[in-house]
Order: sequence, then structure tokens, then C-alpha cells
Amino acid sequence: MDYEFIIDGDLHEISLNKKDEQFYISLGEESKRADIRGISDNVVSLLTGGRSYCIYLASDKKQCHIRINGHNFMVEELSDEAEVFAGEEQDSQEDALFIKAPMPGKVIKIDVKEKQAVRKNQTLAVVEAMKMENEIKSSIEGQVKKINAAPGDLVDPDMILIELEKQ
Amino acid sequence: MFKKILIANRGEIAVRIIKACQEMDITAVAVYSDADRSSLHVQTADEAVYVGAAPAKESYLNIDRIIQAGKDTGSEAIHPGYGFLAENAEFVQRCEQENIVFIGPNSKAMKLVGDKIRSRQTMEKAGIPIIPGMKSALKDISKYKSEAEKIGYPVMIKASAGGGGKGMRIVYKEADLKPALEAGKREAKAAFGNDSVYLEKYIEEPRHIEFQVLADNFGNTVHIFERECSIQRRHQKIVEESPSPALETELREKMGAIARKVINVTGYNNAGTVEFLLDKDKKFYFLEVNARLQVEHPVTELISGIDLVHQQIEIAAGQKLAFKQKELQQKGHAIECRIYAEDPTNNFLPSPGKILFLKEPAGPGVRHDCGIHSDCDVPVYYDPILAKLIVWAADRDKACRRMKKALDDYVVLGIKTNIGFLKDVIAHPLFKAGKTTTDFIKDNLPDWHPPEKPQSLKELALAVAAFNSQDTNKQRRGYEAEPKETFSPWNKLGKWSIGGGK
Repeated sequence: MDYEFIIDGDLHEISLNKKDEQFYISLGEESKRADIRGISDNVVSLLTGGRSYCIYLASDKKQCHIRINGHNFMVEELSDEAEVFAGEEQDSQEDALFIKAPMPGKVIKIDVKEKQAVRKNQTLAVVEAMKMENEIKSSIEGQVKKINAAPGDLVDPDMILIELEKQ
Repeated sequence: MFKKILIANRGEIAVRIIKACQEMDITAVAVYSDADRSSLHVQTADEAVYVGAAPAKESYLNIDRIIQAGKDTGSEAIHPGYGFLAENAEFVQRCEQENIVFIGPNSKAMKLVGDKIRSRQTMEKAGIPIIPGMKSALKDISKYKSEAEKIGYPVMIKASAGGGGKGMRIVYKEADLKPALEAGKREAKAAFGNDSVYLEKYIEEPRHIEFQVLADNFGNTVHIFERECSIQRRHQKIVEESPSPALETELREKMGAIARKVINVTGYNNAGTVEFLLDKDKKFYFLEVNARLQVEHPVTELISGIDLVHQQIEIAAGQKLAFKQKELQQKGHAIECRIYAEDPTNNFLPSPGKILFLKEPAGPGVRHDCGIHSDCDVPVYYDPILAKLIVWAADRDKACRRMKKALDDYVVLGIKTNIGFLKDVIAHPLFKAGKTTTDFIKDNLPDWHPPEKPQSLKELALAVAAFNSQDTNKQRRGYEAEPKETFSPWNKLGKWSIGGGK
């Protein structure tokens, strides 16, 4: 079977096929043989080229977290959503306008008001998580369009706290 | 001995103390907030009491609730762990009033060592070396010259109102003093609206070295040698070891004797830590007393064979120290790495979330003090420490190798941790050479990024991801229902076929 994965930000194609209890891993022209066994939900044993790898994995909604020999990999199956994600340029522009929390936490203060003009590097809000305060700064010059959070709110990294617009 | 102890903490330290109680046949009572109902310390304890909402102020820092939980459960003593109420003299007083034994120092000693100015005065009077410096700012800038001479160059100019490095200047020779003072004053004025500055001895290439002490309620004290804790990020220790590569027997004995003296002059009892700065000329200066069980206490336990939590409980129960200073020795070498939920590639920002999978390292000489498990949530409300990995080996080189291997074996999936960063600290040639100062991370690992991943492993990761999606599609968890003898995930692959998709 063929797969398209995004691994640590790069797109790769791979095919994995089984024949006589052995797997054949093909990336581009090259193909190698491997004996792959699921040991438990989170552990896979892989033997290839005379070497033994114990591989740990776990999946959340977005991606599969994998650890091999002390190295961590994040693998995401290519989907429509992921393709949008790969369109980086548009994304970074939007990031600048939609201010999100850098981590899950609590809003300590909002330093700006709606309609207020903001400079580059101006502090917009302070979010606290795990005993650490983090200032969220504007990466653009513009104006505050909308504020969606108030001090005391618990926020997720996906939540837009403040919307900016360019003047 | 106590029959029941309440542990007023959470996470790895609560688990560690609960286990010590259980070893001593003492019933261990956990407390928990809304965020911690499913946390490991609650699972580990014999009893558990809900004490309030997730924010620490409403639960773990709420003195009334903690005391009430102690009374309701008939706990005879409270162990505070570290952080939260551990160094809160008001809480200690409340325990004293309520006839609950506080497992830690008496409130008077705690207040004294917690007051930087008073403790500095006490130490100075007792002849304990403190960082030389002016006691207050002077109006006349010309008088600073004689002050600087008295202190001895290099000196540091510090803003009286200050903090965060503003107004700070290091001066190595007299000729530079005046312009540096003027610049420091300007900077202090701009930052704090107050231009008064004072001078303090500048400690070059400082190491953070602390001594573990134990004092019973009868005036007997011992030190259990040093821990070097120079490897710090954001002024917080992340790697600690004992013995310190910087100390030789004579200096160790001298510092240890001073540490015991600090305990004696402050009327301190139970377990505590005396912190020193050691400069590049091996001169040492008293910094402060930490009036609690330290995060890094396991390092001392591994080199001395003494269980510090057992000792704390025995001392609090009114027992005398069972050993004398001359009976104690440092054996082998121990290193601790603190495992944090944080992103070392992004200014060590905390990284709370769900741990999807945990595999703890294990093996000879490997200890893991842990507050997490697979499928647990790391809440946003508390300190991001997850666990501590401590290794012991016959010497420092072997301990470093053991630590590296243990970090390699340590698997946390789902959230970001500092494990990869710690591996690079331990493997750094200057760390291996024992050249550890408090500037180590800033000087040697700024803007850290994980090392390049081998291409061959990347390919295997892709293969396993493919394997996993085939497997997941066939509902992996379902195969537990299969009879054991025919167990094979490949029997369950269903409509998948050889060469399929090609």
C-alpha cells in the first residue's frame, strides 16, 4: 500500500507491502525487507538488515508520535487539512493577524483595547502557564480589530485571543 | 512513630513521600484538586482528600483546607514536599497551633532563614563567609572607589531598586569604575526611576554548590556532603550531581563544617540545604538556606545510602539522629536530570497536555521518581516538572554513560519534554570534563536544537507509521479477543491484500 506522510514538516511517499510474512519498505527506488511485529498498542519490533529496533508510537487526533533509538518523529498522514497546513506563506500572514496563545494557560492581562493601534513588538497580552508568564507580542504594525479573551480565561493554543488588522 | 501522615503536595514528590510512609507502615493521605483526581499521587496513596479547585491558591496553597483535611483524616503530621506551603512560616505556625506535626523546620528558624537581610546579618556575625558588598547605596560617587578596594576587584554594580540585570555592570579595574558607575546609574534611573546603585563582589565562573544537612530536635547535626547544581536554565536547576567535580576533601570538610554551623546559629531542625557559591579560585560564599526537602535530594540518598524522607519523618517524630558525622561517607557518583514538560527549542516554554505513552527507564543504578503515567494529563496549573531521573555508578564517567543510556531509553510521547536537551548537556565535552558553572547553558548551548536525525531512522519511522495505519484500520485493540494460540495481528488485517494499492 502507498502512503503519503508529512514527517517533521517534510512530505514523503512510502509503500509498505507484505509478502511471505515479510514487509517490503519502498521509498523512491530503494526497497528493503523488514520483519515487523506489533508487540502491544504502543510498541513495535522491527528487524531489518540484521538489526533490531524497538519502536514506540502513539497517535493523537493530528499525528503519530514515534520514538526510535532516542529520536522523536512526528508523522502526519497527508489529508486535505494537512495540505492547507503546508501552504505556509498564507499561514504566516494569518498568524500575524490572529493572535493565539503560545500554550494552554490562563490569561493574566490584555494590554490593548479594540480599535487601538499597535506597533511591532508591542505586548498585546500576558498568558500564564505552569507558573511562568509569557508576553504575547505583535509581529506587525496595525490595529486591534477584536478581542476574544479576558483576564482569567483559560485558553488553548488553537484559540484566537486577539484579532489584528493592517492599517 | 506516626500512624498517619498527610502529604500536602502533588506530582512526583508526593508519590515519593507516600511510598516512604508506606514503607514505614504509616498511612499516607493524599490531597488533590479538581485537576488531579486522576493523578498518580492519588492512585498511590492510602487515603485521598479533595481540597479544592485547580488553581493552587484554592487547593494546595489553601492553608485552611489543608489543615482541615489533616484534622478530618486524623493525620498526626503533615509533610509539605517542596514548593506550595513548604516554606510558608504561617502554615508551620498553624500546624503548631493545631497540634499537627509539621515535617520540616520550626517556624522561628524558617522565618529567620527566609529573610535574606536578617539571615545575612546572622551569618556575618557568626563569621560565615558571605558575598562581600556594600550594605546600602552612597550619595557621593567618589566614595565608591574605597568601597571597591575594600571588596576587591572585580566588583559588580547593582541597582538598589533593581532586578533583571538592569543597571548591572562588571568592573575589573579601578580606571573603569567611574564611567561604569555613571552608566549604571543612568540605566537604573531609566529602568526604575531611581539611580542609586551599590557594589558587590563579582563572583567569576561561579558554581552552585549546596550541602545537605540533617538536624534532630536535640541539637545534633550532620551534613551529608555536597550537591553541585550549576547547570541551570532560567535560574532553575536541571542537572545535579554529587560529589562535585570541583571539591577536594579538605574544601569539602571546610564547607561541610560551615554548613553545620549555619544550621546551629539559626536554630534549624529537620532536613535542610545550605547553598553556597564557589568562585574560580575556590573561595566560597554563603547564599541561603533552603528550608525544605530539595527536588534534588535523591542524589544525596544514592551516594550516602541515607533515605532523607525517612530521616525527616523520624526526626519529626522526636527521634535522635542514628549516626554521627564521622560515620558518613560519599560512595560512587550520582547524577540527577529533571524531566520537565517544556520546549527546549522555544525558550523552555511549558508544554502541558496529554501524555499518550510513557516508558520509564530502568536498570542497575537507575532510579526514576515519577509523577506521571501513560494516558495522563499534565495540567497547566502547576510546575512543569514531570519526574526525576537519577543514576548511580562507581565514578563520574560511568554515571554520565549510565545517564545518557537512561535518557535514550526514556520515552514520553504526546508532549514536549527536555529529554533531548538533557542528553546534549550530559554529552557535552565541558560537562564531561566537570567544567560546570551557572552560565553553562547560556555559554555552551544557546539556541539549542535537536541533533540531525539519521535518515535511516526517518525511513523506519515512515514504515512504522504505514504499518500503524494498516493496523489501526483493522482495529488493533480488537485482537485481544482472539484465542492466544492464534494470536497474530496479521490474521486481523482483513481486506488488506498483498501488493494492494499498487
